Amino acid sequence: MNKANITEYGEVSLARINEIVAEYSQQKWALIPLVQKIQNEFGYIPPQSIPIIAKNLRLFTSQVQGVISFYAQLYTEPRGRRVVRVCRGTACHVRGGKTILKLVKCHLGIEEGQTTPDLEYTLETVACIGVCALAPNMVISDKVCGHMNPKKVEQLFKTPTCHSDPERSEGEESRGE
Amino acid sequence: MQAVTITLDGREVSGHSGMTILELARESGIDIPTLCYDPHLTSIGACRICLVENEQTGALVASCVTPIAPGMIINTHSPRVIEHRKNIVKLLLASHPDSCLVCDKGNRCQLRQLASDMGIGLVEFQRIPQMAAIEEVNPFIERDLSKCILCAKCIRACQELVVEGAIDYYQRGFANKPATLNNLPLEDSECTFCGTCVALCPTGALTEKERPYRGTTKTTVQTTCPFCGCGCCISLEVKDNHIVRVSPVEEDAVNPVRNSSGALSPAAGQQGSISNGVNHGTLCVRGSYGCDFIHSPDRLTKPLVKVKDSFTEVSWEQALELIATEFKRIKDEHGPNSLAILGSSKCTNEENYLLQRFARCVLGINNIDNGSRLYSSATRLGLGFSIGFSGTTNYLSNLEQSEVIIVIGADPPASTPIVEYAIKRAVKYKSAKLILIDPRQTKLSSFAHLWLRPKIGTDVALLNSLAKVIIDEGLLDEEFVVRRTDNFKALTKALERYSPEYAETVTGIPNHEIRAAARLYAMASGAAIVYGSGITQYANGTNGVKAISNLALLTGNIGRRGGGIYALQRENNGQGACDMGALPKFLPGYQDVADAQTRRKFEEHWKVSLPANPGLTALEIIEQAKEGKIKGLYIVGENPILSFPHSSLVAEAFASLDFLVVQDMFLTETARLANVILPAASFAEKEGTFTNFEGRVNRVRKAIEPPGESLPDWEIILRLAEKIGSPLPFSSLRQVMDEIEELIPLYEGYTGSERLYQAEPDIRETRRTYMEQFLRGFARFSPVEYIPRAEGAKEDYPFTLLTGTILYHFGTGARSSRASRSKKFLPQAFVEIGESDAKKLGISRSDKVKLISPVAELITAVRITDTLPEGIVFMPISFTESPVNRLFSIVLDPEAKTPSLKACNVRIEKSLSLDACLPVGRGED
Repeated sequence: MNKANITEYGEVSLARINEIVAEYSQQKWALIPLVQKIQNEFGYIPPQSIPIIAKNLRLFTSQVQGVISFYAQLYTEPRGRRVVRVCRGTACHVRGGKTILKLVKCHLGIEEGQTTPDLEYTLETVACIGVCALAPNMVISDKVCGHMNPKKVEQLFKTPTCHSDPERSEGEESRGE
Repeated sequence: MQAVTITLDGREVSGHSGMTILELARESGIDIPTLCYDPHLTSIGACRICLVENEQTGALVASCVTPIAPGMIINTHSPRVIEHRKNIVKLLLASHPDSCLVCDKGNRCQLRQLASDMGIGLVEFQRIPQMAAIEEVNPFIERDLSKCILCAKCIRACQELVVEGAIDYYQRGFANKPATLNNLPLEDSECTFCGTCVALCPTGALTEKERPYRGTTKTTVQTTCPFCGCGCCISLEVKDNHIVRVSPVEEDAVNPVRNSSGALSPAAGQQGSISNGVNHGTLCVRGSYGCDFIHSPDRLTKPLVKVKDSFTEVSWEQALELIATEFKRIKDEHGPNSLAILGSSKCTNEENYLLQRFARCVLGINNIDNGSRLYSSATRLGLGFSIGFSGTTNYLSNLEQSEVIIVIGADPPASTPIVEYAIKRAVKYKSAKLILIDPRQTKLSSFAHLWLRPKIGTDVALLNSLAKVIIDEGLLDEEFVVRRTDNFKALTKALERYSPEYAETVTGIPNHEIRAAARLYAMASGAAIVYGSGITQYANGTNGVKAISNLALLTGNIGRRGGGIYALQRENNGQGACDMGALPKFLPGYQDVADAQTRRKFEEHWKVSLPANPGLTALEIIEQAKEGKIKGLYIVGENPILSFPHSSLVAEAFASLDFLVVQDMFLTETARLANVILPAASFAEKEGTFTNFEGRVNRVRKAIEPPGESLPDWEIILRLAEKIGSPLPFSSLRQVMDEIEELIPLYEGYTGSERLYQAEPDIRETRRTYMEQFLRGFARFSPVEYIPRAEGAKEDYPFTLLTGTILYHFGTGARSSRASRSKKFLPQAFVEIGESDAKKLGISRSDKVKLISPVAELITAVRITDTLPEGIVFMPISFTESPVNRLFSIVLDPEAKTPSLKACNVRIEKSLSLDACLPVGRGED
């Protein structure tokens, strides 16, 4: 993702969008590859780009929106640079995954599905990553973090955003490194 | 076409290949229930109610999307089918709110009907309600999406029929629903509130807002819309003498009667008497939601007589007696030619026929004209002169077969939406290419392949240049030109100086664009030209029309599939009024009044002697009234104070009259100046016919009684004739229709057997397009010169003001300002100014401006837009408090006698009025 396309104030470079759209305007069934390309560059599909896409591909704006809203992979809001996925599968649940989620929410200051205001982290939960032996698990960008505990959570995010929590000391005692 | 035979419910039935099982079943009289199917829309098999069992494979298939194959054995109500259908309906009901008792859809709800037919009472499934209503401020459409069954009829109607695309599916799964971009309310989207989606929705998800009556009515009357020249077929639902709902008539195209070889038999179209209509199940916001003016409390209910500056109610006897006495007096003292009649392009054909007979037989004058003088005389003369036929040459459905469409001097999205839909359908789904010639940006601009923006008033130069390119590059249809036309050499000579380079200096359009447009038009196998008041309302509008017809003749596009000229009519019966002879120079059927033989023919029929000299046209009547030569005037259904230019002069003219009679539904600005006012009935309160811009004659039927003592115009005319002492020999409308059929060749058999004129479209098509032979033998090329606008921009009046129609209002606004919803949505007049001009003048959006022309001034609100070139401002007509026509001085086209009402020069000043109000609605920039 090229953050240069989004200015400090979250404004989007329409010129770049026009360029990308022009590349695809002659292709048949260009809509999905086109929005995927935009998402790769911008990290999401800026809503301002929908009229430009519609005009060039000769579709209705509501149609373009319909396609984008159908797919879970396509986002119309900016996402964080790093996506944090906390596992809520069976093994992780049994080994305290819920607490890990709570702590992560506390550290980041956001709820599930949201993005931090500095556009650094987006929090998601997933059903199972497939490394149940390392439960409880978390994935940040592409890195799998297994055997999570509160201390590790704090180290990972290094943000003392959350005040003293009695459960933390509990977690520290019950699970070692 | 090969016949395919299948076994349907044990019976052998045949259809042609490509038919679906559903279509064949319906034709054979077998009923398969559906929810998402509609003959106008592409079938998508969304609801699965139409499942049938294929007994050979055991599969359940959706009959609306499954084509028939030879030897298929289908059962439409086997136990498996019934069980599945029941489950589907139960699943739909499980997500449906339990509000049937209070839902407005009531007996018209197709889901409820299905459930009831299948005997479904209890739904044992878990209820999963859907997310509900969106709050909307617009006064037209209400959406309660908790009742939506996702049949996608609204989406398909919006995208396929109306090609507006305001809605599409949004998200998926249980959150799925039809939504606009960014899920905004309809008034913040491209929705034009045409009402097609509401008419098609099978449940109560889409309903009309502010409806006067909840529920289903027993009486439905099919009639024709009274607004623009499209003449859409509508059905009025009546309850207690009140029109409560207007919907488009559903054409049952799936169930035409076919004979054994699959061809349409002559009885096709006998379904509802107005199937095969021009609108295919669509309407526009005016037709759908603008007809409540009928019940406005402003309706006139009794005849009024002016006594010392105020009006008193009198009886019909007294009013008619007074009129008869005065008219007789004026006739005796000053001769019959001091009387004149201004007839109505909004009244029915029969009424116009009676009115012209009244003029000629009772009053003995030819001074009769009608409102279409203001916008379509140029068409009549220009086309009549060149192709011998004074109107549109093809039916609108032919437009969808055009390869190229030129739209010049017309704004169909505002004036004639049905034409706009046809053009957009052709461009989007039939790969037609649109050449748009319009200095303003309109909705069609985004559909245009080529968009030329000429300077105001230079259309003739542009058209001539296109013709020259076609001749020079050898792109003309030589066979057609040689065999069917006349005067080609004169045309070629006259076009010599109209090279694209010259045209560029005049019109401002780059010469390569002119060449590209000419080539595109000429090389298409069928290319149509659509034009409107942007050509006809200039002081040399007739030249414009002739130039258009030259183009069409050069390329052989007359009488060809996909070709043709479409002359848009602004009003519902502009075409009909002229056909009926409400014209000073023509007897019914465009037969020349000056021709002695023609006169004799009519004299024999009518048993009177007819005046030989052609009469005065509308504006000439005004001028003569001002000079005191016209003393008595009878106006039927027109509002010249608002619709004619220079209204102060018109008012002076009316004041100089001895006697003015106005027959109308409302106390219009013109009526206020009258001596006697006669209350007339609206379109829903009388019988008759309207002729739309295609020349199609549509039936108008009575649905309710006229309010108070008002009467249909035809009855008033007959009574008045009797009072004057020369009664017309008609005691019923039927007799009038019979005489019209007899005397006007074009209207032969137009209503006797209602099937005739639309069940045999080929005959009508031929009659209208003269495929084999032109009316006059050969079509004539008419070389025309470009004449610069006489009122070119002067120093004192640097801006050019363009006028035009706007979608939500109509005509002079007498009716549409009394349609409560249109009034609420767009209550205030405005003038559109371009951004750079606004900046130069220091105007912002909350300001008011004064428009000053050589003859008048006007204060109005402002809308800043980016659709206009510099130096040009645009103001819609139709606002009664700010009638823009007032600003125009009276300049007539020398041939057509149409006043110039499209462009004039103005000065703009900021008005220091303290109460600045923003126009309500949307579209503010």
